[in-house]
Amino acid sequence: MPHLIAISGPSGSGKTTWISEFLKDQSIPQFYVCPGLGEISVDLARIGYQFPWVQVVTEAQLKAALTDLPEQAMVYFEWGFHLDLGSPFLAGLGCERVAVLPPDLTESDWHTWADRIVVGNAVAAPANGRLPEIWCTPLTGQVFDPPSLDALLIELTGGAYGQACRMKGIFEMPNGCAFHVDFVEGLPGMEYTELNIPPWLNGRPRRFSGIEVVGWGLEREAIAQTLLDGCLSDVALAQYQQHYQTLDPVEEALFV
Amino acid sequence: MKLAVMSCIHGNYEALNAVLSDIDAQRADQIYCLGDLVGYGPYPNAVVELVRSLDIPTCQGCWDEDIVEGLNACDCSYPSQLAEKRGHLAHEWTNRAIHPEVREYLASLPMTLRQDNLCFVHGSPNSQHEYLLPTMDGFAALERVLAAEADVLFCGHTHVPYVRDLENGTLSVKVQQLGKSETHREFTAPLKRIINAGSVGEPRHGRPNATYVLYDTDSTQVTLREVPYDYEKTCAAIIEQGLPPIFAWRLARGMEFAERAEDAGHVCER
Repeated sequence: MPHLIAISGPSGSGKTTWISEFLKDQSIPQFYVCPGLGEISVDLARIGYQFPWVQVVTEAQLKAALTDLPEQAMVYFEWGFHLDLGSPFLAGLGCERVAVLPPDLTESDWHTWADRIVVGNAVAAPANGRLPEIWCTPLTGQVFDPPSLDALLIELTGGAYGQACRMKGIFEMPNGCAFHVDFVEGLPGMEYTELNIPPWLNGRPRRFSGIEVVGWGLEREAIAQTLLDGCLSDVALAQYQQHYQTLDPVEEALFV
Repeated sequence: MKLAVMSCIHGNYEALNAVLSDIDAQRADQIYCLGDLVGYGPYPNAVVELVRSLDIPTCQGCWDEDIVEGLNACDCSYPSQLAEKRGHLAHEWTNRAIHPEVREYLASLPMTLRQDNLCFVHGSPNSQHEYLLPTMDGFAALERVLAAEADVLFCGHTHVPYVRDLENGTLSVKVQQLGKSETHREFTAPLKRIINAGSVGEPRHGRPNATYVLYDTDSTQVTLREVPYDYEKTCAAIIEQGLPPIFAWRLARGMEFAERAEDAGHVCER
């Protein structure tokens, strides 16, 4: 029988990290579902890029995928903090329920919901009734000026555009690489991971990139405008791509 | 004689007032200003009027030059595309706000000021746009001081104050010209000093406090002064005047509005 697991917990507690440990296993058919954000899901894209053998299922594909699961299948539902734990859909799945929770959180809806508690990152649990908002946008086709992106991320995670407690994104760089960037308030630094995907050096990348910000009082327009201000024009992108296409791998390594 | 040297006020009237009060309390005999009176901040006219009214000898900064000549920095002066866009916004705003007589005053400012063995510049003796960073190669740094024909070179522009002593050293120069034999010269340069005054109105040392320096010409003692002021007032004015709110956010954290370019020694060929 296919095994279904729903994983929930506060933003930044380590749900995707926990799931990723299991997705490394290529011996069984694995499925990953992250409902709630439609097609604009950084996690969905990241899992797809990082574990190409995992079947990433969008909301639109979910019904069909569930009716035709292989016998050995493992299906991971990442159930975001903003989704209702009492959802009839979730209850109808009959899945195992795992809550990834900060060590200091001893009492919550997740505790009563979960079959199993996993101790995750020491993030601040949301105060009762004050759930943060989520803002996300696709950035597909946009390529960033790297120092502009750095400045923007420092400002964004430093509170310049509202109180951001979580930020994750996939960003395209002028050398054709794409990075996954992960920030959790309260944890040290920001994590940059280069995605193991082919460099895109021929026009605007036609693959998903995007950003999700979780927090309070987010100034969405200002964030969007600053993102756009840090993106390369067609002319600048063409110049970069021409430069990188002519670099041999040794030169490129030195240049980077 | 006690000198007070300040730089990079950037239209921050509150910070300038606080620094002038501190200078007064420190009983300085003479004040010098190393330019960048305008740009980014909400009170360019008031800052210029105050500096003028006090007859403070002032040299021209890169922002003062750009307001007179039009944007004169190439895009490589900015560390990022974002910083460049913000710099242009600040320039356009200042260009609209500035009074004609203020522009005339900025145009009249000299590149360099001198007093005995002291020289005062904004960036370097070569250009208002060049950064003399504390990490600059020792030979290049010494060359800049020698070019100024001074023993002590006061500069600003980096927005981080520092004192750098260039100890007595022997310089060895080889010159190879086509068709001529190589010539070899050695000479000894005595102790030289670079003193960076930091920034009054747009500090970049991680705190919002204004900085300037005191210099005693008799004892050659340098004192870096850090002066707290009501930066929230300036932040509020930035927003009220329609400048980008991110300028206020960065000011409150001692993060310069547009950080310097990575290649700080680069001087544009304009």
